[in-house]
Amino acid sequence: MTPTGLDRRRFLATTGVVAGGMALALSPADAAKPVAGPAPWGPDAAKGHEFTPWIEIAPDGMVTVRSPNPESGNGTMTQMAMNIAEELQCAWSDIRVEIASIHRNYAENKVYTKASLPFFGGHGTDKVRMAHCFRLGASARERLKAAAAARWNVSAADVEARDSVLSHKASGRTLRFGEVAAEAARVSLPAEPEPKPQSEWTLIGKKSPSKLFIPDVANGSAVFGIDVKLPGMVHAALLQVPVMGGRLKSMKADAVRQMPGVRAVIALDPAKSRSSPVKEETSFGLKGTSEVQHAVAVIADHYWQAKMALDALPVEWDLGPGAAVASQDTIYQAMAAARDSARASGKAKDVVKKGDMAAATGSRVVEGEYLTPYAENAVMEPLGGTALVTPDSCQVWCATQDTMQAFWVAADETGLTPAQVKIYGTNMGGNFGRRTQAEDIRMAVAVARQYPGVPVKTIWTREEMFRQGRYRTPITTKFRAVLDDATGLPQALSGDLCFAGDRPLFQLTQGYGDVPYFNSGAIPNVHLISTAHPVHVLNGAYRGPCFNSNAFFSETFIDECAHAAAMDPVDYRLKLLAKWEKPWSDVLRLAAEKAGWGQKLPRGEGMGVAITNWPVATIKNFGSTMAAVARVAVSQGGELTVSRVDIAFDCGKVANADAVRAQIEGGTIFGLNMTLNEEMTLTDGAIVEGNFDEYPMLRMADHLPEIHIHFEALSGHDRFDLMGELPVGPIGPAVGNAIFAATGKRLRSTPFRKHDLSWT
Amino acid sequence: MTTVRFKVNGKAQSVDADPSTPLLWVLRDHLGMTGTKFGCGVAQCGACTVHLNGAAVRSCQIPLDGLAGAQITTIEGLAARGGAKLQALWAELNVPQCGYCQSGMLMAAADLLARKPRPSDADIDEAMTNICRCGTYPRVRAAIKRAAGVAA
Repeated sequence: MTPTGLDRRRFLATTGVVAGGMALALSPADAAKPVAGPAPWGPDAAKGHEFTPWIEIAPDGMVTVRSPNPESGNGTMTQMAMNIAEELQCAWSDIRVEIASIHRNYAENKVYTKASLPFFGGHGTDKVRMAHCFRLGASARERLKAAAAARWNVSAADVEARDSVLSHKASGRTLRFGEVAAEAARVSLPAEPEPKPQSEWTLIGKKSPSKLFIPDVANGSAVFGIDVKLPGMVHAALLQVPVMGGRLKSMKADAVRQMPGVRAVIALDPAKSRSSPVKEETSFGLKGTSEVQHAVAVIADHYWQAKMALDALPVEWDLGPGAAVASQDTIYQAMAAARDSARASGKAKDVVKKGDMAAATGSRVVEGEYLTPYAENAVMEPLGGTALVTPDSCQVWCATQDTMQAFWVAADETGLTPAQVKIYGTNMGGNFGRRTQAEDIRMAVAVARQYPGVPVKTIWTREEMFRQGRYRTPITTKFRAVLDDATGLPQALSGDLCFAGDRPLFQLTQGYGDVPYFNSGAIPNVHLISTAHPVHVLNGAYRGPCFNSNAFFSETFIDECAHAAAMDPVDYRLKLLAKWEKPWSDVLRLAAEKAGWGQKLPRGEGMGVAITNWPVATIKNFGSTMAAVARVAVSQGGELTVSRVDIAFDCGKVANADAVRAQIEGGTIFGLNMTLNEEMTLTDGAIVEGNFDEYPMLRMADHLPEIHIHFEALSGHDRFDLMGELPVGPIGPAVGNAIFAATGKRLRSTPFRKHDLSWT
Repeated sequence: MTTVRFKVNGKAQSVDADPSTPLLWVLRDHLGMTGTKFGCGVAQCGACTVHLNGAAVRSCQIPLDGLAGAQITTIEGLAARGGAKLQALWAELNVPQCGYCQSGMLMAAADLLARKPRPSDADIDEAMTNICRCGTYPRVRAAIKRAAGVAA
C-alpha cells in the first residue's frame, strides 16, 4: 500500500465518522464508494511498487510518474514522463502521469521541491528538473536490471533494458519490468548511474508524443477540479462583495433558508482567517491577493439549489471607498497624471539609466503614449474547490497552478499545522496565471470551515469570475526618443511608465527594462522609470504578466522611430540589435524572410513585425526569443482581417516539437484576442462585464490567421527554454504595426476593436 | 420538485429535482456524469454541449421539465455512437491543451459530421461556435477535416 492509498483509507474512515456524527444519511454503499483521489489521470497504481515518490511501477508493468508540476495544457506532465522514460527505457505505452500529492513534500523532506518549483507548469523542461528526472529514471532502470540479474544469477552488466523488457542475451531469458518491480523497488544500488549523453537520446527531441491525458479528455473521464465527487458532498454558490475592498452590511438568511436543499447560509469575512502556525514556504507569499474577500454563500445539496437560493438572498453591501471610482477612465487618467509627474517628483524608480539624456542633438523627436486596460484570464473551468475541514484536518481537491500555494493557503485559512493539510491536485481547465494565488481555494476552505465534517464543493459562476478577477495589470507608458540625424537610430530614449495597483508582485518590467535596444549600447542614452497608482481593483498574473503590455509598447514605439527615420522596420531593428547576441537577428530575419517581407502591397494591406523575449531579455542564451510578422487587410470601412502570421523563435533546443508548436499556435491566438478584444470596464468601482456575451472571444468563425511556425532559427544552445508566456508578446505589436503599414493609423492602446480603422 | 424520465446514452434515467434545473446540472450533479462541463451558464461557450434527440444543444439552457422522453447523448456515450474515430484523432493531432472545453468541442464536431459528412470551412465555422481559451481552434479544424477525409 502506498502512502497515497493510506490517505485514501484514512479519508474513507473520516467520512464514516461524518456519516454517523452528522446524520447525513449516507448509506453504507455510498460510504464504500471509491472517492475521487489525487490521481485524476486514471486509477491510482495502488498495487504498484514505489521506486521514489516520483516513480511507481505496477506488477502489470504500468509506470506511473508523479509530477509535482500540474498540467497547464502545455504538456508539462507529459514532458516529465518523457524525461523519465528516456532513461528508464520503458515502452511509451506503459507510462502514465499523475499529479504528486504536495503534502508529501512537507512530510518527506522536500522530496519534490528539491528538484522542482511545484509551480504553474511552466519551465516544464527546465534544466534542474530534467536532470533530476534523468537520474531517477536511470536509477530505477538499474534497480530493475539488478533485480533481474539476481533472479537469473547473472551479472547486472549483462542485463539489457528496453521497451519495458529486461533481457539476458547469453541465455535468451526475458522478464517484463512489472514482473520484478517488487524486488527492484527494494534494491539499493552501490552507486547511482550516470545519465546517458544527449547524443543517445531516442525520445527527447526525437519524438513528439501527444499529451498523455488526451484519451481521458476526449471521453469525458478526465477529472478537473469542478468534477471531484466525494461521498456526502454538498455544494456552495458564492457571491463576493461587488466592489473590491467592500464589506457585507447585512443579509436576510431566513428568506432562503427554507428553500429546497438549502443547508446553510453563511457570511465570509477575512477576519476569520486564522493564519498558519508554521511559517509558510510559498513561491510568492500569502499577502496581497490571496486573502478572503467579504462574501456570502449558500450551501445546499445540489449546486442549482445553492445558486437559486443565493440569487434570491437579500444582501446589502457597504461598498467601501472603491465605489467612488466612477469608471476605468478615472483610473487611466490618474495613471497618466502619475506617469507624467513621476520624473519631476523624484518618486519614480529607475528601471534603466545610462548616458546623458541631454547629450542628444538630433532634430527628429518621436513621442508616443500607450495604454493597456484591465483584462480577465477567462479560464474555461470556473474557479473553486472541494474542501473537507474537521477540527484537526483539512483536505482539499482542487485545480491549482501552484500546489504549494494551495497547500499553505489551506493551512493559513484553517490555522492547522501543515501536517494536518492535504491537497489533491486535479486537471486544470486553463490557468494563464489565474490559479497562482489560490484565493479561490481559500474561499472554498473558508466556506467548508463553516460546515465542518462535510465535503463542500464551492463553484464560482462565470459572472463571479469576471467580476472578482485578479486582473491583468493596466499599464501606461510614454516613450520619447531623439533620433540621430545621420543614422536615424535613437540617440536618447526615455520611458515613463505607470502601473495600476499597489502590489509590486504584479508590476513587472519585462518587455520594458530588459529590451536589448535599450541595454546593449545601441542607444547610448537611456532613462526608463516606473511608478504606480494604487487602485482598489486587485491585479494578478495574466499570461506573460506585464510583459504582454510592455512588449506592445516597446515594439510599437520602435516601429514609430523606424517610420520617423524613414527606414524599414526590420532593418531598423537589425541595426538596433547589432551589438546583441546573434540569435535575435537570426529569429528576426527568418520570420521576415518566410513572411515575404518587403513585397509591395496595395493600400489597405500591410505587414508588421515585432520581436520579444521571455522571461529576461538582457541575459544572453537565456529564455526564449520570438519574432512575429503579421499580415493584415483593412477594408475602407475599417474591418480588420489578420490573414497570416509567421513566427520564428529560439529557445535553444526543443524537447517535443509538437508541444512547442501547439504553445505557439495557442499563445498567438491568445495574444491576438488580448490585443483585439479584451477590456474590463468599471462603473462606480465595480467590474461591469459578467460573461462572454460582454467580453468577446475569438472563435473559429472569426477568420483566424494562418499561423506559420518556423524552427530554423533555433540556436541549438544547450537549453530547452519555456514557451508558454512568450507567444502573447510579439503578436499584438506585429498586428498593430501592420495596421499602420496598411492604413497609416497608429494604434497605441488596446483593444483594437475600439479603434476606428476606416480609411479613405 | 418534479420527476422526469428520459434516456442518457441509451440508459433510462429518472430525476427528481426542481423543474428549472438545467440539463447540465442534472447530468453533473444528479447523475454524476461530469464529462459535460459548466463554462458560462448563458449558452455562450459551448462547454456543456450534448446531443438532445440527435442535435447539439447547450445543456445549460435546457430545463429538466422539458426533458420528458428525451434521448440524450453525452461525451461519455460518444464513443459508442460513432465518435470513437473523432476521439482518436483528437489524441493523434494533440488537439486539447487544458482540455476543459474539449468535450463540448467533440460533441459539436460529432453533430456537424453527422449532418454534413464532408463539411466545408464555412460549415465548420457555423457549427463550431465553442470558446477555447487555449486557442486550439486550428487543430480542432484539422481534426474535423481529417475525420471527414477532406483536405486540410
